[in-house]
Amino acid sequence: MRTTARVVVPIVLVVALSLLLEGHNLPGGGFIAGVLTTTAFALLYLAFGLDFLERGVLGREVESGKAPSRDRVVVAYRRLFAAGLAIAVGSALVPLFFGVPFLSQTYVVLEGVPIYGHVELASAVVFDLGVYCVVVGGLLTILSAVGAE
Amino acid sequence: MTTVVIAPMLVVLVTAVLTLLFGSYPRLRTGLALAGTAGYALAVALLAWTVVLAPGAPGIATYQVGGHPAPFGITLVADGLSAFMLAMVATVGLASAIFSTRYVHNIGYDRRTFYNPLFHVLLLGVTGAFLTGDLFNLFVWFEVMLMASYVFVAYYGGPQHTRAAFRYVALNLVASAVFLLAVGGLYATTGTLNMADLAQRLADPAAYGIDPVPVVGLFGLLLSVFALKAGLVPFQFWIPSAYRAAPPPITALLAGATKKVGIYAIIRLSFTVFAGADVPISLSVPGTDLGIAGASPLAFVGPVLFAMAAASIVVGGVGAIGRPSIEGVFAYSSIGQVGFIALPVALAAAATSEQFRRLAVLAALVYALNHALAKALLFLAAGAVRSATGTIAFDDLGGLAERAPALSIAVFVGSLALVGMPPLSGFFGKFLVFEAAIRAEAGGALVVLLAGSLLTIAYATRVWNRGFWGAPSTAVTDARMDRVQVAAVVALAAGVLAVGIGFDPVYEFAEVAAEAALDAEGYAEAVDPGGEAA
Amino acid sequence: MTAIVLAATVGALFALGTFLMLRRDLVRVVWGLALVGQAANLYLLTAGEIAPATHDAVPVLAGHGEVPETADPLVQALVLTAIVIGFGMTAFALVLSYRVYEEHGTLDLAEIGGREVSEGRERTRSDGGDRR
Repeated sequence: MRTTARVVVPIVLVVALSLLLEGHNLPGGGFIAGVLTTTAFALLYLAFGLDFLERGVLGREVESGKAPSRDRVVVAYRRLFAAGLAIAVGSALVPLFFGVPFLSQTYVVLEGVPIYGHVELASAVVFDLGVYCVVVGGLLTILSAVGAE
Repeated sequence: MTTVVIAPMLVVLVTAVLTLLFGSYPRLRTGLALAGTAGYALAVALLAWTVVLAPGAPGIATYQVGGHPAPFGITLVADGLSAFMLAMVATVGLASAIFSTRYVHNIGYDRRTFYNPLFHVLLLGVTGAFLTGDLFNLFVWFEVMLMASYVFVAYYGGPQHTRAAFRYVALNLVASAVFLLAVGGLYATTGTLNMADLAQRLADPAAYGIDPVPVVGLFGLLLSVFALKAGLVPFQFWIPSAYRAAPPPITALLAGATKKVGIYAIIRLSFTVFAGADVPISLSVPGTDLGIAGASPLAFVGPVLFAMAAASIVVGGVGAIGRPSIEGVFAYSSIGQVGFIALPVALAAAATSEQFRRLAVLAALVYALNHALAKALLFLAAGAVRSATGTIAFDDLGGLAERAPALSIAVFVGSLALVGMPPLSGFFGKFLVFEAAIRAEAGGALVVLLAGSLLTIAYATRVWNRGFWGAPSTAVTDARMDRVQVAAVVALAAGVLAVGIGFDPVYEFAEVAAEAALDAEGYAEAVDPGGEAA
Repeated sequence: MTAIVLAATVGALFALGTFLMLRRDLVRVVWGLALVGQAANLYLLTAGEIAPATHDAVPVLAGHGEVPETADPLVQALVLTAIVIGFGMTAFALVLSYRVYEEHGTLDLAEIGGREVSEGRERTRSDGGDRR
């Protein structure tokens, strides 16, 4: 189980990232990338236990038996949720300042970028990033709060 | 200029995000929530003024989200009907937000931080539902509104709250599935979900190659979903437990806003979308003369909605009389009052004359306004009593009139408005509903309305006698009323009085709203789904 | 052929969902609700049809030669939205049924309903006893 998790989790995270970045004009997007990322975290929780993130990765001391909603990592998830919502709403509001309707999207094409050569930058990525943060933050809050009970 | 259409939604959306971001600073959060609700009321006022009420106003304005033209993108439409409903919700929302500032602080930390964002999400859902011009988008706003209200029903986390929430969630999940079915069916039948486009296509089905027969059944499905949201019999049974379980300011919002979304959806879809549909109907019960016949799905809506409304009036009234607590009485009463709102809608649907239809819809709107104000007032008052005395059971109460005169006078005003005494808003509501029933020569409707009114008098008197009259009980003697809470209730009472005394402008606004509801052509023209004008 | 399979699947999902919803076990009820939701989603998906290969159906490809047959993208977008919403709702309902289990020690709806009735009676009785 742990060996599988060690191999699979990085792959899942990279796939999630690629889905997030190409979601604006290929299959993918913030929601599905967020769900995949959450799956990776769920795999970690299943394989290493609920405290692994704080103790093993961040090197913090954890009192066991504390109310789960007060855990620092859960607080961080909640912040991620709020920040994601702010990013998504903010990116939707920006077009209003340019006199175009709410939620309008646009893109620029950059030529001559080293290595890639041709890069499209779409404003929809920002919105997707917000959605991604909302999904990851929200699902992980639920997962860790319910999982701890 | 058209940004004003989306302004109320943006204000609540931003407020929800900000209150979530600054959740750990209680003063800032409360301030933001209050400022956001005030901003919402301002945005609604601006919308109502520039689009509908100002001299030379266009009467209707549209907004294409993301710049995609109708019928491909999501259209937001603000017309008289939407503006009227929004103004009602803004008033109730403001009172409820003021009340909330003094209600939230005595709940646990986790719940406190989520109260304000969810409050605004609830407002957002309601606002979106009033403004959208797209059927699927209406579904989405319903879900937004419901998600927030689910959490609020389960808010206190006692066994009875969890049970109420589960019942509420289960019922609404089924309703959502039914809504999706109807949406899918309508799309398969007509090829569009834009309401204006839908109205145009249904008005001339042959030109678009549509077989409109399934539309009647699909509209029936939609009607049942909206009736569930409005709490009409036979979909009323979630109401008492959910209303008792939610925090009082939210109950005020549920009764004053969420419920009205159901009524709004019925009015909007019946008259703006399906009234012009060219679908001949003739149904009859085999072996009898009973039957329904007409040229549009409304011929079917009329009798069905009438039966539901009449049953609601009776069930709500009879149920309210025997309840052992203030909130229980008002929860059942709101089932009955929705019947009073839906009855004229049913009469309008059954009628053929345009003029009578307008009168009946107008009656429904005025009554809806009255109910929103009065019932929000009464639920907030029940909340104030609960936080001051710790109970709302009649057995522990009595003599509130002596201990809390201001609150009692406000409750008295609210009860009289429910009963329909002049010069309060309720009088005009009842008067118009009765007038519609008399003009329609619907004897059955009159009997039900009279019985309902008598029942209202009976339970209002009972609340007054058991809760407010007599010698103060121990709980009441030790009570300390919260000034801000009482102020919110008194402000609503002043609103009820003001609507009654200065009824003329309200009547004109409601008349514009009723006209907008019936003006399917104007609606379609403004949205312009075919893009002919462009 | 596809139409018949899809219709049968939608029907089966609805039947199974309704059956589960009427069980006494709360978790089964939640599964039933989820199944009915999925049945509605599938039905929504079938509402769109495959459009014939014309430039009207795919304006983006105008001037790019042959146009393939296309499935209706709108219903897919609608279903995606509905799935996301349904996902959140089912999660909420499951957490809620967990809470019901914690508070009542049972998931049997008949027992939970009985508890509601008896609690209601108790409340009225104790209120009566406190009366002065």
